[in-house]
Amino acid sequence: MVANTELQRVELSGWRTGLANLLGKENRAWWASRRWLVHSVLWTVIVNGMVAATVFLLAPRAGQDPLGIGIEMLFKFGGMALAIGTVVLVHDATIGERQLGVTEWLLSKPVSRPAYVLSKLLAHGRAVLVILVGLQGALGYGLLSLIIGEPLPLPPFLVGMAGLAVNTLFYLALTLMLGVLTANRIALLGASLGVALIGFLAVPLGSTVSTFVMLTPFALIHVLPTAVLGLPLPLSIWVPISITAVLSVIFVAVTLARFERLEF
Amino acid sequence: MDTSNSLVIETHNLSKAYKGVQALKDLNLTVKQHSIFGFLGPNGAGKTTTMKLLLGLIRPTSGGGTVFGQEIVRDSVAIRSRVGYLPQQPRFGDEMSAREMLHFTAGFFFRGPKAGIEERVDETLALVGLADKADRPIKGFSGGERQRLGIAQAQVNYPDLLILDEPTAALDPMGRRDVLEVMERLRAHTTIFYSTHILDDVQRVSDTVAILNHGELVAQGPIEDLLAGGDKPVYTLSLKGDARLALARIEALPWVSGVREVAHNGFVTWEISVTDDQAAEAQLLGHVLAGEALTVVEFSRKKFELEEIFMSIVEGGTDGR
Repeated sequence: MVANTELQRVELSGWRTGLANLLGKENRAWWASRRWLVHSVLWTVIVNGMVAATVFLLAPRAGQDPLGIGIEMLFKFGGMALAIGTVVLVHDATIGERQLGVTEWLLSKPVSRPAYVLSKLLAHGRAVLVILVGLQGALGYGLLSLIIGEPLPLPPFLVGMAGLAVNTLFYLALTLMLGVLTANRIALLGASLGVALIGFLAVPLGSTVSTFVMLTPFALIHVLPTAVLGLPLPLSIWVPISITAVLSVIFVAVTLARFERLEF
Repeated sequence: MDTSNSLVIETHNLSKAYKGVQALKDLNLTVKQHSIFGFLGPNGAGKTTTMKLLLGLIRPTSGGGTVFGQEIVRDSVAIRSRVGYLPQQPRFGDEMSAREMLHFTAGFFFRGPKAGIEERVDETLALVGLADKADRPIKGFSGGERQRLGIAQAQVNYPDLLILDEPTAALDPMGRRDVLEVMERLRAHTTIFYSTHILDDVQRVSDTVAILNHGELVAQGPIEDLLAGGDKPVYTLSLKGDARLALARIEALPWVSGVREVAHNGFVTWEISVTDDQAAEAQLLGHVLAGEALTVVEFSRKKFELEEIFMSIVEGGTDGR
């Protein structure tokens, strides 16, 4: 029998207590199974399949500029698809474990509550940034470069990718926040997807994107194609990116504060 | 925490209300080191609420408590580093195998060496009889196997305190026997605080008992004291002969609070409730035999069954017997 004293104890480390172990579990759930592969293929088909179908099939028939419509599809409709994908993938992260009693079990171990929330945020954030944003962006870049027969200018494309990443993290933070504000899965999905869809559908109602709309997170994916194509915008592209990033941080802060008070 | 009489759990007027409904009222509980403490009560009595309060999973509405002398709200993480907990309906992440789950659990407490942790996981699996199922996914486990795995994960960290919420509820008789044996084996190393409504289990393994009803503590003490009637002892006296005058004499004694005739099988048997057990043991027979020619067939302190005590307390309100 191994003696208690032969094992090295984990030291308590304030808000980080339990984080490394929880993060390891969340990361293993993504990367030590076929989950990453399934989602890589699925989102490639959805996002870049849509881009490829548009630029190779629809644009030539309609006589449209394939690069312009390709960028539009990648950043606007792709951004929307990735937002919905993030909500669907992440909504179970807190609410599913709460409903099953797994959260209660985990919090009966030496785990700080911030560590629990941050493990979800960091592990799912990494997964959606790599699989949903990074991979789709890289494939999209290759596809668009193929259309114009030369590499697409990288700096504006990277600005677009930064916007896409912030937009995806916004919906991740929103979903996690709603996951601690409600224990109702339908309410969570309805609210998260509702924000994404209403924001997406409401913005184009005006003829052009106004200064006011650019101050909301909903404008981001609408203005990204313009920014990537180097066309003028009422405000710098960094304004909606910054506003969306700040709102995401606020959502995380609300999640941490609310989770601290939750009872299991 | 060095002496055997040290208190592991101590609560002071610990209370919890949910939306105006009082789930726990002014609980004052003490649990000594190395005891197997049975926490009894009907469904909804507040047992699980108490356990969750001790673990910091919920917050008290008023009052407070300590575990290992540490405050249950402020020092919750530190307390949990020394505790093992089995929830009432254990769910652990069904995609993992039993071995993976125990490795993951051990990771909250130990950072190495790897071989030592591996050995600890193996011996924990062996302790609960799951060594042959170690690498199977938990989702295929039966209720009893999940329960045993729950006990394994609760004690993989050599806890100073095991909190087990209904550890035998989902088990068949053999499974119950196995779990009770594990608990008895662990007694030397840890304190066990467990809830149950299976009274046979309590009588078999517990040394201390508390009974909770409608959120209130209605009895607490060593099980031997409780079974002996606690502070309201009862003596059984069987006599042969005409005992009418003897009955009048003992009913007049100031420390006799009641006499109940329970049988008539050629002799008379009384259950005599007293307020002073020393006086009863020293003087009762003398008063009975002072007059008529009576033969004492039996005289003993009544040993209650736990079920008898539990039912009288729970059905008779907080006043109990």
